[in-house]
Amino acid sequence: MQIITRQVKDKPLTVTIEYPELTESVKGLVKRIESLDISFSAYSEDRQMRIALSDVYYLENVDRKVFLYTEKDVYRLDASLQEIGKIAEDSDLVRISRTCIMNTSHLTGIRQLKNSHLEASLDNGEKLIVSRKYLRDIKRRF
Amino acid sequence: MPVRKILKDTCILAALMILAVFACSIIWSGLTAEITLVLCLFGLALIISAVNYLFDEFFSMSIVVSYVVKYFVFSAIVMLFGFIAGWFFPSNFWMAFIYVGIVLALAFAVDAFQVQRDIGYINEHIKKEDKTS
Repeated sequence: MQIITRQVKDKPLTVTIEYPELTESVKGLVKRIESLDISFSAYSEDRQMRIALSDVYYLENVDRKVFLYTEKDVYRLDASLQEIGKIAEDSDLVRISRTCIMNTSHLTGIRQLKNSHLEASLDNGEKLIVSRKYLRDIKRRF
Repeated sequence: MPVRKILKDTCILAALMILAVFACSIIWSGLTAEITLVLCLFGLALIISAVNYLFDEFFSMSIVVSYVVKYFVFSAIVMLFGFIAGWFFPSNFWMAFIYVGIVLALAFAVDAFQVQRDIGYINEHIKKEDKTS
């Protein structure tokens, strides 16, 4: 695969993919690039703002409310985890438990604790508990 | 892994063959004792699979604790089902603990091995991505 990058001033970021045949891996690549454009409408103290998918560390359902966690901040979302899962299909977001979706692009490692629970570490130092049931889903992202 | 896929496909094919053959037998000779036993085993497997799915979905326990809890829950299901199906008598119902124990011990070994392998795979790929970026 050849990667060509060039600066074109006064034009939006444009990605051109040239392929000999439209294979599944090409389709996957297109979907992953498309997912970079995904953003979420979130609330912080009644202020609405757009959070890009790449800034999302994880999303958690607490008492039927969905919260979005970035590196340092927490926002509230008006969507269910199921809806988010559908929007961000084929992105780096992956469900890690019944109440949590994690962005694997911020994952630095997974380890098994002494009590045999699974713990995911993120690059901001946060630790999340992973349900064994969803370990396969994380594996598929790599 | 091709061996795993072949084994999985073999189990599915065997189950379909049993169901197809027995479906024909039911039409020709009605419900015999053997057919009833196999259908009951399919029914029991369905119940256990559904309970296992719901258990994994709603409870987040450590692997050891979850298998211990599952051992008692599944033993109770097998015992109850066995009494209803007429497999067990008051004198031999404890055999459910042995049957379930053997199956769960195998499942635990496979599960523990797979978890370690999956963790290794994920961590290895994260390291590779870190090196390339």
